[in-house]
Amino acid sequence: MNNYDVIVVGAGNGGLCAAATCAKAGLSVLVLEKHNIPGGCATSFVRGRFEFEPSLHELCADSTHPKMRSMVHIYRELGVKTDFLKEDYLYRVICKGKDGYDHKIKATRQGFIDSMDEAAPGCRRQMETLFELNDLFDAAQIYMDDCGGVTGMNPITLLTKYGDFVRAAGNSTDKLLSALGLSEKAKSLTNTYWGYLGNPPRDLNAMHFISLLMAYAQAQPYVPKNRSHGMTLAMVKVIQENGGEIRFNSEVTEFLYDEKGAATGVVVNGENIYARKIISNIIPNNVMNLSKSRFTKKMMRKLANARKMGMSVGCVYLGLNATAKQLGIEDYSVFVLQDKDANVQYDLRKSYGFYIVNCLNVVLPDCSPRGTSMLFFTITYFDGDFPEDMKPEEYKKYKNDLAKKYIEDYEKVMGIDIMSHIEEISVATPVTFARYLSTPNGTIYGYMSQTWDNVVNRVVFKDLENRVKNMKFCGGHSLRGDGYPSAFITGEMMAKEVIKEIKEGK
Amino acid sequence: MAKSLIPKLPLYPFVLSAIKRVIVVAKTPDTPVKPLGEYPANKLADALHPACQYLKVEKIIEQTEDVKTFVFVPDTTRGTKNLAWFSAGSYLSISYSDDNIRFTRPYSLSSSPRKSKENHYCITVKRTEGGIASNYMLDNWTVGTKVVASDPQGDFTYEPLRDAKHVIGVVGGSGITPFRSMAYAIADGDEDFDLTILYGSRTLEDAVFTDELKALSETCPKIKLINVLSEQRVKGCKYGFITAKLIESVAPKGEPYSLFLCGPQAMYEFVDKEIKTLKLKPKYIRHELFGEYFNPTNDRGYKGKKDAEYTITVRISGKEQKVPCDANTSVLRALEAASIDAPNRCRSGRCGWCHSQLLSGEVYTPKRVDGRRIGDLEYGYIHPCCSFPLSDITIDVPPVPVAK
Repeated sequence: MNNYDVIVVGAGNGGLCAAATCAKAGLSVLVLEKHNIPGGCATSFVRGRFEFEPSLHELCADSTHPKMRSMVHIYRELGVKTDFLKEDYLYRVICKGKDGYDHKIKATRQGFIDSMDEAAPGCRRQMETLFELNDLFDAAQIYMDDCGGVTGMNPITLLTKYGDFVRAAGNSTDKLLSALGLSEKAKSLTNTYWGYLGNPPRDLNAMHFISLLMAYAQAQPYVPKNRSHGMTLAMVKVIQENGGEIRFNSEVTEFLYDEKGAATGVVVNGENIYARKIISNIIPNNVMNLSKSRFTKKMMRKLANARKMGMSVGCVYLGLNATAKQLGIEDYSVFVLQDKDANVQYDLRKSYGFYIVNCLNVVLPDCSPRGTSMLFFTITYFDGDFPEDMKPEEYKKYKNDLAKKYIEDYEKVMGIDIMSHIEEISVATPVTFARYLSTPNGTIYGYMSQTWDNVVNRVVFKDLENRVKNMKFCGGHSLRGDGYPSAFITGEMMAKEVIKEIKEGK
Repeated sequence: MAKSLIPKLPLYPFVLSAIKRVIVVAKTPDTPVKPLGEYPANKLADALHPACQYLKVEKIIEQTEDVKTFVFVPDTTRGTKNLAWFSAGSYLSISYSDDNIRFTRPYSLSSSPRKSKENHYCITVKRTEGGIASNYMLDNWTVGTKVVASDPQGDFTYEPLRDAKHVIGVVGGSGITPFRSMAYAIADGDEDFDLTILYGSRTLEDAVFTDELKALSETCPKIKLINVLSEQRVKGCKYGFITAKLIESVAPKGEPYSLFLCGPQAMYEFVDKEIKTLKLKPKYIRHELFGEYFNPTNDRGYKGKKDAEYTITVRISGKEQKVPCDANTSVLRALEAASIDAPNRCRSGRCGWCHSQLLSGEVYTPKRVDGRRIGDLEYGYIHPCCSFPLSDITIDVPPVPVAK
């Protein structure tokens, strides 16, 4: 009575990767997506002459160790054809205020160490240590993978050989950087990417953050040439070429279970479709809300209630009628900080604490028509930051005020004119992401990676906490936290589990 | 044992955080998971963009012999309680079906955004030659007629950070509808810009809402209306067409202004040529949706066979059918002629709602209405509303989303 081996719910990066992996392994796969295009956050939209990226800054696409899984590996193995461009710089970071600074930090291992040491003299040794730590984290993760997960590991080996992995995995980024004796300035510069994981460094898992930063630095940030929409269409192609099926405008309205509570299928457009396995790219909160309550598990309800929602963002997308050069913009990625302490940036997030401005034309000159350029502002929102009772008629003004505030601040910081060049503007807020992603308060990161809900614990507790037989979860809310690569990796991980279970007849 | 690079960091917090996880989860009460609609951002998203709006006609106002305004209220029997707020200049994609006909068409909201708070939406419809939907509405819709509308759509709206403070509306015929909404939004204080409307029509009698807009301009100095009549000389109105010279004569001196154009395609062709001489930056020229594209085979550089007939093989949710389509019929129209429901909203190539995969064959998409993304071109996706077959084609079309 099963229509498919696997149903994948949601065609975000995680869902697409899970489906492609299953299809490639010969399983019959159906992907159901509520929108008319794939990708979730990984998409693009057109306004006038411009095609905007709604969420992508840069991809941490490659890994620092040949055995570590990465998007590049996954793409190669799946046969996804899409071109990437590499960036030479990680970021330009401008810190305002009286001990402010303005530095450009280079990518590559050597480039990063050199430019950090130039910006914060004396931190060379500590930066080298960060890379060495990351090498060890890679080795530890490969060891864990080789052991077949947490349960197969020898705790003694973990502690003796990979003790620093355990140290970093249990402590915050603040603690690790202090333990290394970084100066305030070196700390500040190192913390620039905190927003990519959405926790202030006092609550940010050190292993998670250092892995991310060092991977970006070492492998260089990537940008997809055909944009995120092209990337996800490339994935769709692979799914289809391997016999998989994808249906758009097909929102799952209910998850189905057998009497023992094992997942059996879904309801979509009024039709019941059954499969041996379900892979959900949608957040467990939504899955539970779309399941009859007697089939939801106590442990999963409690976990969902205990968790905090991860970061959402406000974005201002600008199509400008002048080139980046004419405007005086030289950098792809500029981080503007109100205070050098990243924790204060988080605390001041409602008043310029921390924002990012990207100009894709710097990496991809032809991404907009000749004589134009695009700017993309990102402002952080955390659960509860969006005003409680905003009326619909107040929303347009709210969006415009938000855009104005940040554009004017950036003009002041850079000493350039942006406002008079705006040919197209679109403003997104958590409301926009709530609308398109249907995540609680529009989170784009899934659950907040709090100290107890860090990525290591998510892996450790995975099988204990997911009590639904035949159902797996992938995507930003899953084991590896947010980001395109994390979604890819969890998609592949869940697909491999499903392939194995089906092979073993489970 | 490997030498630690971070000996100052203790090992035990790793275990503590795991224990903490167990304790935190254990202590959390087992209550049902909070529904999405209770989160503020989701609540506002639902209010602004409901999946659909069930409406019924409450009143029909005959504006002229061939123009009617349909006043809608929520159809509470089908679950719509409140109408979504919108930005003046937005449109609704309205679907209607009865035993004789089914259609989906975009219509600008002609009422004030404020009226949506009183649960009123208006659209104003003009009889057009060959206009299947419009003419059917004018002839058959009565008080009580039920329709399904989308959430408010479109980007023909005033954006204060982008547009000049002074907007000149260049209007042809029923293109007045979004400007009526904008004028009310200004008068109500929901929008803040100066609006001068150059309203082109054949005669003054054809220019619906003239009296109303004149009255509004008397109470609100930000609004001005100038009728431009092509077939009638009337005191106080301009005679002729909307030319560059006329635009310049009403434009603010020494200050930037934005042109908002809304009218029939013939008007765009005429005015677009005229305004070239004004040397305005593209940012100051905004067009409402182009509307459906007709007779693509007459386009310069058209490469297909003019009178060719093709077959479209269409897959929807895995089921396949075949329909005929000639070179001058859009793929969407061909599907509709065969009573196949296919998603569509703007019908002008811009919104992407009809986004479909071209599995084989070739189509022609006129440049003016090609709103696709770079990836669509690379991987073979089309907008059926403005794609015309150049060969037999196979397409995969998503189903129309089930209305909630």
